[in-house]
Amino acid sequence: MTKQQARFEPYDFNGGTCVAIAGADYCVVAADTRMSTGYNILTRDYSKIYKLADKCLMASSGFQADVRALQKVLGAKHLIYQHQHNKQMSCPAMARLLSNTLYYKRFFPYYTFNVLVGFDEEGKGCVYTYDAVGSYEKVGYSAQGSGAKLIMPVLDNQLKSPSPLLLPAQDAVTPLSEAEAIDVVKDVFASATERDIYTGDKLEIVILNADGMRREFAELRKD
Amino acid sequence: MGSSSETKENSLLSSETGIQRTQYPYVTGSSVVALKYKDGILMAADMGGSYGSTLRYKSVERIKPVGKHSLIGASGEISDFQEIMRYLDEQVLNDNMWDDGNSLGPKEIHSYLTRVMYNRRNKFDPLWNTLILGGVKKGQKFLGMVTMIGVNFEENHVATGFGNHMAQPILRSEWHENLTFEEGVTLLEKCMRVLLYRDRSAVNKFQIAKITEEGVTISQPYALKTFWGFKAFENPTAGAEGSW
Amino acid sequence: MKFDTSGLESTASVFGTAGSQLVDGFSAAPAFELPTTTDFDGFQKEAVQMVKPAKGTTTLAFIFKDGVIVAADSRASMGGYISSQSVKKIIEINPYMLGTMAGGAADCQFWHRNLGIKCRLHELANKRRISVTGASKLLANILFSYRGMGLSVGTMIAGWDETGPGLYYVDSEGGRLKGTRFSVGSGSPYAYGVLDSGYRFDMSIEEAAELGRRAIYHATFRDGASGGVASVYYVGPDGWKKLSGDDVSELHYNYYPVVSTEASEPDRMVEA
Repeated sequence: MTKQQARFEPYDFNGGTCVAIAGADYCVVAADTRMSTGYNILTRDYSKIYKLADKCLMASSGFQADVRALQKVLGAKHLIYQHQHNKQMSCPAMARLLSNTLYYKRFFPYYTFNVLVGFDEEGKGCVYTYDAVGSYEKVGYSAQGSGAKLIMPVLDNQLKSPSPLLLPAQDAVTPLSEAEAIDVVKDVFASATERDIYTGDKLEIVILNADGMRREFAELRKD
Repeated sequence: MGSSSETKENSLLSSETGIQRTQYPYVTGSSVVALKYKDGILMAADMGGSYGSTLRYKSVERIKPVGKHSLIGASGEISDFQEIMRYLDEQVLNDNMWDDGNSLGPKEIHSYLTRVMYNRRNKFDPLWNTLILGGVKKGQKFLGMVTMIGVNFEENHVATGFGNHMAQPILRSEWHENLTFEEGVTLLEKCMRVLLYRDRSAVNKFQIAKITEEGVTISQPYALKTFWGFKAFENPTAGAEGSW
Repeated sequence: MKFDTSGLESTASVFGTAGSQLVDGFSAAPAFELPTTTDFDGFQKEAVQMVKPAKGTTTLAFIFKDGVIVAADSRASMGGYISSQSVKKIIEINPYMLGTMAGGAADCQFWHRNLGIKCRLHELANKRRISVTGASKLLANILFSYRGMGLSVGTMIAGWDETGPGLYYVDSEGGRLKGTRFSVGSGSPYAYGVLDSGYRFDMSIEEAAELGRRAIYHATFRDGASGGVASVYYVGPDGWKKLSGDDVSELHYNYYPVVSTEASEPDRMVEA
């Protein structure tokens, strides 16, 4: 090809969708394994889920090179933390670290959309959801990436619990069992794959519970 | 942190210090196609070097060995590729210097390239290439790709540039895990022939490279047999008249 | 250009110099990385357009005889998409001080977090809590040092200090205003309408809270970018306290109960 691009473009969008659901004693993260650029599919088997600690996972979509850089930075910082404190970072601490790491690149952002899952200090499942420059919120479930707009309304419809801002406070536990949560995740991805060109190929699901970590795969449409 | 010296990096708001970087490519190479086969990796590329739409150079080697276990193929800016080769040669030289029997495998080289490409994009001074890295080490086959902005991944068959559009569909339908060397070469040649027909910046002078546990072999330049007598080639506008 | 990142440096010295070589660049205070481009504004504009930070809000705060009322909605939108209905827009800086969040969610969250650290450091150094005046000026000065770089913050700092109730408006353009009644965000015109017409200095706490709640409700009713839950906080001599959090769609039926339509039923029958 000749003079392909007129100007240097520092960003690309490689697509992908991430979903996370937290329960009282479990959490589920899932992401498709497609990686695209424009109308091209670069690979059908790329994992978007990254293990930060034994009980802390991050799923990321957006610009793959930034995602990789972010994973490496967090991985390195966590390694140093372990050397200094002789323990693994807690999930809420990791959540704050991710927020700050994203914000330090406020003027040259990591073009990444992340969800972080794990267990909080009381051992309950938790999900943290982010924007690209580091604003974050602890939620019961979340979807990020190219299919988020298709999936989030369905999750709201099926799983929405009373807002944590309500006063008097109302009990806000995801009313799902682990198996039900996994089924919901499979369904929403099958649906998103029907309408989002950046989602498809294969679904990677990681489940955290008292028994440890478990990984499952499910097939998605490949067109 | 509190150093008193004025940090140059923070002076971007004053526009006087605008230095020119490579914002577009000059001499470019076209597609590279590579695949895994039974014993290792096969890679093919033509030898053209385009200066805009002019086919300026016709003997550019775009596939090079890296150490004993890896093979690199590049499309995009030729001078940037030559700079990358200098970085890689330095790495390999450093390996040899230690003389401890350890060496960088394809995975490590690929990871290194990933960081080099991404760091340069972070400096807004990109290396204008898409790179393919293949290799075999300790029985492990490796085939991966890195783009000019640092996007990277591994696959069983990869293609850069135009090859992404024209060669990948062929590879998707015909590639399988147990391709023999002969089948692999035939498949690559089929891809390169299609590219030759449809990519205007491709030239009929190729190199095919092979890497196995035994090492690297890069073929002498050769031409593909072509047939331009297809009906559709002789009368391309038949059935597709323009409005003018 | 010199940036004030002093708030981030508090942890740097904890590790001492011996270990710092070991951990290389990681334990040092991180600095903001800037894009190496001659066209910063253009890049920033494009980048912001791409990441679409969460925006859109109604927040308000006012001083009355017993203290300060602070209220806000909880919606965050990215363009037309509602990215959250449960944002905590009233940020608890310390037990005596609140900040509100309007504009870029990350900008507000980060700099309020940063302000919280600075306020705590001030408390430790001076054995007394920072004044609302001081805290708001701290924030305003930081934001001013980043002026023109695309930060988007519109905040109110409300609290109780040695001088009594305090309320300041601070924004990313460098503005800092002292006042007794503010509303910030896309829904503020609607909130002001309710607030200005219903405000009296000598309200009871209950009356004041209801005024704040009603102002937020009416803003969420008319402003598409506001919604979710209306939270109301009160700051008095003993610090802040959350008074209420109500789903605005339920508030709607409190303010406008459904009227029985049975009376008009026969008319409709005739038409049909």
